[in-house]
Amino acid sequence: MKTKWFSWLSHPESLLSCLTLVMLGWIYKVDPTFLQWEVQKELSTHIWETALMALPMTLIILTGGIDLSIGSTMSLCAITAGMLHQHGVPLPMGCLAAALVGLAGGWFNGWFITRLKVHPLIITLATMAAFRGIAEGVSQARPLSGFPKSFTWLGQASWLGIPLAGWLFLGCLALCAWIMHGHRLGRYIHAIGYNEVATRYSGIRVNRILLGLYCLSGLSASIAAILFMARRNTAKADIGAGVELGVITAVVMGGVSIFGGRGSLFGVCLGLVLIHETREFVSWHWSRDELNLLALGSLLILSVVFQQLLGHKRSS
Amino acid sequence: MLGLLKQRAAGLFCFTFLALGLVSLINPAFLAWGNLRDIAVQAAPVCIISCGLMLVLVLGEIDISVGSMMGVLAASMGAMVSATRWGLSPWIAVILTMILGTLMGALNGWLIAYLRVPSIMVTLGMLTALRGVTEVIMGGTWITDLPPGIRYLGTGSWMGLPICLWVCAGVIVLSTWLIHRTPLGRRIFAIGSQPRAAHLAGLPIQRVKFLVFAWTGFLTALATLVSVPQLSVVDSGIGVGMELLVVTCVVVGGTSVNGGTGHLSGVVFAVLLMTMISTLLIFMKLGENATYWSRAIQGLFILGAILLDHLVRSKKSS
Amino acid sequence: MSAVWQWGSLSRVRTPKPTMSALQAKQISRSYGGTRALSEVSIELLPGSIHALCGENGAGKSTLIKILSGVETPDSGEVTLNGQPIPLGRVHAVEQIGIVAVHQEPVVFPHLNTVDNLFVGREQSKVGGLWLNKKGMREQACQIMHSLGETFSLDIPVGQLSLAQRQMVSMGRALLQECRILILDEPTASLSARESKSLFATMDRLQQQGVGILYVSHRLEEVFQLAQQVTILRDGQCAGTQPTSSLSRSELIRMMVGRPVENPSRQQKKTKSKSDKPILKIRGMRRDPVFQDIHLEIHAGEILGLSGLVGAGRSEIARAIFGLDPVDEGEIWFEGRCLPEGFTIQDTMAMGMAMVPEDRQREGLVLPASVEDNLTLPSLIELSGWMGMHRKPRHEASRSLIEQMGIKTASRASSAQSLSGGNQQKIVLGKWVYRQPRLFILDEPTRGVDVGAKEEVHRMIEQLAAGGSAILLISSDMPEILRLSDRILTLCQGRIKGEIASHEATQEILLQWALPEERDALS
Repeated sequence: MKTKWFSWLSHPESLLSCLTLVMLGWIYKVDPTFLQWEVQKELSTHIWETALMALPMTLIILTGGIDLSIGSTMSLCAITAGMLHQHGVPLPMGCLAAALVGLAGGWFNGWFITRLKVHPLIITLATMAAFRGIAEGVSQARPLSGFPKSFTWLGQASWLGIPLAGWLFLGCLALCAWIMHGHRLGRYIHAIGYNEVATRYSGIRVNRILLGLYCLSGLSASIAAILFMARRNTAKADIGAGVELGVITAVVMGGVSIFGGRGSLFGVCLGLVLIHETREFVSWHWSRDELNLLALGSLLILSVVFQQLLGHKRSS
Repeated sequence: MLGLLKQRAAGLFCFTFLALGLVSLINPAFLAWGNLRDIAVQAAPVCIISCGLMLVLVLGEIDISVGSMMGVLAASMGAMVSATRWGLSPWIAVILTMILGTLMGALNGWLIAYLRVPSIMVTLGMLTALRGVTEVIMGGTWITDLPPGIRYLGTGSWMGLPICLWVCAGVIVLSTWLIHRTPLGRRIFAIGSQPRAAHLAGLPIQRVKFLVFAWTGFLTALATLVSVPQLSVVDSGIGVGMELLVVTCVVVGGTSVNGGTGHLSGVVFAVLLMTMISTLLIFMKLGENATYWSRAIQGLFILGAILLDHLVRSKKSS
Repeated sequence: MSAVWQWGSLSRVRTPKPTMSALQAKQISRSYGGTRALSEVSIELLPGSIHALCGENGAGKSTLIKILSGVETPDSGEVTLNGQPIPLGRVHAVEQIGIVAVHQEPVVFPHLNTVDNLFVGREQSKVGGLWLNKKGMREQACQIMHSLGETFSLDIPVGQLSLAQRQMVSMGRALLQECRILILDEPTASLSARESKSLFATMDRLQQQGVGILYVSHRLEEVFQLAQQVTILRDGQCAGTQPTSSLSRSELIRMMVGRPVENPSRQQKKTKSKSDKPILKIRGMRRDPVFQDIHLEIHAGEILGLSGLVGAGRSEIARAIFGLDPVDEGEIWFEGRCLPEGFTIQDTMAMGMAMVPEDRQREGLVLPASVEDNLTLPSLIELSGWMGMHRKPRHEASRSLIEQMGIKTASRASSAQSLSGGNQQKIVLGKWVYRQPRLFILDEPTRGVDVGAKEEVHRMIEQLAAGGSAILLISSDMPEILRLSDRILTLCQGRIKGEIASHEATQEILLQWALPEERDALS
């Protein structure tokens, strides 16, 4: 009997579900107005970009890697689209160019990781600086705006109460869930995270998969940039600063092991909910934005410590 | 490899010299004593922290929380001495700030060395959490009334050189002694070089890691104390981006991110070079827009260092 | 004349020191999973004497050394030094009481120079740990390295030194320690004649100081010339301890292999008809310095055994054939088609090759993943379609494989980690068996596998051959190779030493070929 209890508890997702319910319950007790649909809708307009980028980040962390450059890629893509628009290029072409820039950025990271065997941490730390630096240099830190109504409509439109960005996320989530559970790529990703050597020796093209994942991460950053521009009608070089922290925290809180292999998208969704609600509630109830940062940072550290204590082993 | 590293330090030295020479040709005002002194003063805090971060990288770990640590230390120092806040004496504030810095580093060290949490996660979390703490301490307003006692640390001089340069020189001397003349220094390099052998040799790996992170915290406090009082205002944005600058300097200076190697002279030259870049850009008369490219150039340097590292590694193995 | 011969004539004259035993190990046993690595082994080392330890691969030598040096703990038995039990399992503590081991793979810090390597952890300093006595340490390091006959600069990072020099640094670090017992594991394997000579001089000096030396080696001429006593291990048990003066080389070899094993099923092999064209043909394959001049052929239905000592290059050849490692030179034909230059594992798999790697935990299995995931991993492409993986065929494949291979597991979804060594090995085999390869490379297929599972694996291998696959079998288990193979190649130091049909082969012949001869000149 006892073993049954513990085995259920040892899954981070179960613990996370409990934690989420407990937290929501506590929030309801403290301030029920927070949980109203209207309020939630208002506060959630910006979460979809983070959520979208969390999907490839989950896959990357599952393989044992990391991508710190998504915020800077966002910035570079936004500046690309914005500058092109300023020079008269029609916006759809600009967005396409932004997507290509995102793909190129991800490919750049992936190339260093797979060919030069540089640790993902170091190269994405470098591109985190380089990409934002290029954006700052090109745009001279000036904001760009004045996007056409047809574009900004994308940012305001919603269906059944959920904005377009939200539907995009849900669609991508469904796709990722299918990939992870129904497609062989999912099996490969878990295997690479658990034991890259054995996976290579089973004939799987590990380098190709990793390169693809980092490209995907870059692409998601570019889409997030476009969504941001549509929502806020502005493109500036400081877009996305610090967004990587929120994404990584959500993924790690969602039970994905930082050493790779173990984790699920369901957990990441819970992690996103937890982070988002915590952040918003802290701002809402105490009206102090700075507590946000404190809460977020502490959450990341606590969840990693927790993972460590639960005994997630490092694969040699 | 030592030869190559010494080459790296020498290479950086030459590069710096050449850049200086080039800029002076275009704009002789660059070589003015006042300008050079300003560059050194700007470089000093970066250099101080880099001495600590170099050892972190040699161990094979990383610390990206130093910038936020600076923020907390600046805010708390300001709050301590400001008459409108806590109004403590500058001496007490200095001591408390040093203790606080060391404690923050020790917290990192404890989580990383004893709880075995990966350093990237701990310091990433700290980076954010401490930035939040900074905001909390500042309470939404800037601190504008730093008393002259504390401002002396930033603006004062001794024998013609600013205090920060003396402190920086002291830290460099201290670090050189630590690396080359103490058992601890040898053990840091050994652990970073081959952790398995270090384990078999019975080296106190966890204690060493803990000390290195605590030391970095201490140095961050020192850097804060000599740089922040240069201005009369303490704002909540202090230290933002410092961690990236420091890591860039350390990596460009020849420290391998895989651990085991590192040369202090390379790091010092890299610091000089990197802090000169923004000033260089201005003096090169490329227009005021050129400074916007400083972060890009930083990124380029670190990418170059990574490529160079890779070339060295593949040359070694072939 | 070799350095050892000159040396040997002197050491034979020496008589052993007083009878109080220095190091005594009694009834040491150690198992890994289901396999018994050591079974009630006892050994006694007298002070001031050199005691040799001999045995084939897998006989238990390295396990014994690990236990004596504190890397591992025994399951039962005790080890005493001058009557006092030693702190088992803690290397540093064992070193403190004077038992120092120099392992075959030098354990050094590649980025540090020689002086630092020798002294790290026990640095000499003045002013109570605040100022390193660099001059003093350097002088001592110089002294030790000179006594070992090494003159390379002490400032170069050790990672840049040759393997032999690194081995000497490792030795130097051991010598720096005040030792009463010195354990040397294949010390001359990577040394030249000159370096070996200095090593023997050092050993002699230590012997005079009363240090007891345990000398593990495959170089039998060294064993006879240096050691007074030799202990032979066989299949984890002590096959005997004899003074070297009373043994001949062939007697020693016989003690190492035991009684030759008769295999009745070998009669059946002779009637197997071989097809004309070989499935695998290799000409002139080379990768310096690991293997050279490799020529071999395997036909359909044939099992080619590859025997030899650890480090002879067998696994490296297997990995090169499978496409995991590059080759410098050589032609490989598979079913008549020549493999292109720079071929990869994807090419070889597509052609119909499979390989079971040596290290099943690190290279063969994704341990935390489920049995089903592991079994179907290389074949997911075949088990998928446009809409993703076909669930039913995948379940069916894993279910039938579990049955076919006899894998004992609670369910398909259990983690591979929870299975025994034998069942884990069956998973590795099974995932490749599913693909019905034309060439099957097996590297130590029954290492760490219990007797029952071993039988099953052997039967499976024979079935595969009967079904038409060609099999390259690498094994350190002599009876296994003799029983299963049709032909056996023996590798020694990267070269093929001999080829023999299995019904004519004996363990002694194979071991003779496998052992390195009277010092081949190494650079």
